Amino acid sequence: MSGGGERTPRAARLPGFLRVSGFEARIALALVVATTLPLVGALFLAGRLAEENLALGLDPRVLDRLSDVPALYGDLFQARKGLYAEQARALAMGLPRDRALARRYLDGAIARTPRLRRIAWLGPDGGTIAEAAARGPNPEGEFREAPARVDLPGGGRLECAFAIEARFFAELDETRELAELIQGVHALRAEIRRSYVRAFGALLVAMALAAAVIGVLLARRTTRRVGALVGAVRRLAAGDLTVQVDPGGSADEVAGLTRAFNAMVREVRESRDRIVYLEKISGWQEVARRLAHEIKNPLTPMKLAFQQLEARWGRPGPEPRDPEFTRLLAEAGEIVRDEIGTLQRLVEEFSGFAKLPEVRPEPADLGDFVEEFLRTSPDVGERADVEVVKAAAETPVALDRGLMRRVLANLCANAIDASRPERARIHLGVARTRDRAVLTVADEGPGIERALRERIFDPYFTTKDTGTGLGLAIVKKIVLQHGGEIQAGERPGGGASFSLALPVRGPGSTGSS
Amino acid sequence: MNPRRTWPAALAALALGAAVPGLARAQPSPLVARLAVENGRVLASVDLSAAFGPSLERELGNGLTNVVAVYVAVLPERGRTPALVHGRVFEILYDVWEETYAVTLKDPHVPQGVRTVVRDFATLRTLLADERSLDLGPSSLLPKEPFVVEARVELNPLSKEQLQRTREFIANPAAGTRATGGSRSVLGAVASFLLREPEPGSGVHLFRSRPFGPGELLAPR
Repeated sequence: MSGGGERTPRAARLPGFLRVSGFEARIALALVVATTLPLVGALFLAGRLAEENLALGLDPRVLDRLSDVPALYGDLFQARKGLYAEQARALAMGLPRDRALARRYLDGAIARTPRLRRIAWLGPDGGTIAEAAARGPNPEGEFREAPARVDLPGGGRLECAFAIEARFFAELDETRELAELIQGVHALRAEIRRSYVRAFGALLVAMALAAAVIGVLLARRTTRRVGALVGAVRRLAAGDLTVQVDPGGSADEVAGLTRAFNAMVREVRESRDRIVYLEKISGWQEVARRLAHEIKNPLTPMKLAFQQLEARWGRPGPEPRDPEFTRLLAEAGEIVRDEIGTLQRLVEEFSGFAKLPEVRPEPADLGDFVEEFLRTSPDVGERADVEVVKAAAETPVALDRGLMRRVLANLCANAIDASRPERARIHLGVARTRDRAVLTVADEGPGIERALRERIFDPYFTTKDTGTGLGLAIVKKIVLQHGGEIQAGERPGGGASFSLALPVRGPGSTGSS
Repeated sequence: MNPRRTWPAALAALALGAAVPGLARAQPSPLVARLAVENGRVLASVDLSAAFGPSLERELGNGLTNVVAVYVAVLPERGRTPALVHGRVFEILYDVWEETYAVTLKDPHVPQGVRTVVRDFATLRTLLADERSLDLGPSSLLPKEPFVVEARVELNPLSKEQLQRTREFIANPAAGTRATGGSRSVLGAVASFLLREPEPGSGVHLFRSRPFGPGELLAPR
């Protein structure tokens, strides 16, 4: 991958949310292909399916039979009309000769003739001789009148109105409408099949587009984080060891990679700091060794020369001694011896700093080591109130007991010095993280200014009047040689706090610096 | 057919425009035509009885709505672009109760149609075949060179209404012919949107007259 954040020149001109990286495009393409391939096959099947369904639903025989239905109704109507004409003729034949009985006859005809709704006997002049009509609703529901007329032999005519069910006409209309619809669908059958295929194709394209958009959106969540990682790697390659990437709230591989990257950068930064510091300390150790050598060598001749001078002056002689000079010589001798003593102590400290031994770690428990240190260092207990808090039952580490005692002794001495003139209160804490055992040495003194917390580990840097500035440098070097780290901080409630973090010793390991 | 449908003049013109080019695609039958000029308008009378044989009685009397579209055009003898055209549509519904033919004649001048009731097929056939005094347009548009009269008769062409009803049907097949129906089908709705008009099928009769000279037009009778 050329980078999740790589953009083509054209893409770079697009608004941010429309920019699609190569990675996003590939994921979208994969989704489109995965979506489209089965659907293309389905497209072929859709055409066949539509054709078969149309063949099934649009059987020409169905259309033929439907088209025949109006004619069947026509036959039904013809039959009814014939029946009604026959019934009208029968009624005409039974007309009474006595016109006085006509009304009674017609009423009887209405009563006994099915579906006869109205009947009228008209004379030759068209005048009504008698008429009758059915009362009440038609037993078969709504109806349409079907007329039947019979010319009478002697002139005049009999006019009948029969009922024919209205539902026949409604059914006829509905059937006709349906038949015409099916006729149209049948005429468009080939085009309908094509339109279904086209519709399926259009939906296929829409689904593929939706898949592509979803793919880009899904990929974007990952590619943006990968892009951030790529940018961070570039900054790292450019030498920026402070770079960190937010892993987000996900628990996926990219988040894991981001956390691993952050941890790696931290490790690199700490290693670099450790190396730089140790190189610096080595330089200062060489300086200290040379200084000690250069200072120590003339001290003894100076001391001997002054002793000879004092001895010569103290030997009795012929000349009386100048009492003033004797006094001055005595004062000068005291000063010279004091200063030579100071220089000798300085030389001893320089030599001690220059000749720090190699760390030889061995398995130990940090908590037990702290208790052992206090037990075997009564002077600490004499000069300070010491409180030990062990927050972890086991803190297995690998340490050089001698050097680490020196570390603890230095830190305790600093705490005691910082608390003067009060009696010092020292808080020793032992805790453990996943991979570190942490020893905290805190006091209730004035604390260390924030700006000085890094510099106090530099050799020859001291805030004390009588200090050489080597104690904390020695402490830090020893801690670093143990593979650990040390930080100066602030104790909650006031005072200085030093935290030493040593690697937890794994099963079977002996530890190393 | 839906008797309430309208016939916009533009639609008629479109139908004519679409129909007339089709005249060139088949071998036409001879056409007996008579042209006259009256009040500056060209009136055509044509005999289309060959398109309406006796066998049509069964089809036109089947109780379903049948549509007959008639297009008459004047074209240069050696050209394909109509100089004058006229189109009309007959909607024929045989009433199986009344045993009559209800004929609705629609043309661009009367888009809503004129309804006539015909009692028998012979009369109906005459009505359809004997097209008299069809107003083709202004005589000034007649070609200067020899020209012919062509006629196209389509039996039951697919109408716009029928196409629309078919679209509705495939978009909502559950509803069928009912006014209200079930839920619409997405695929059917898209398919109905993409449904196109079919090519003209069978049931098309083409006629072509002998060539006319510019001076052959009859005076009005």
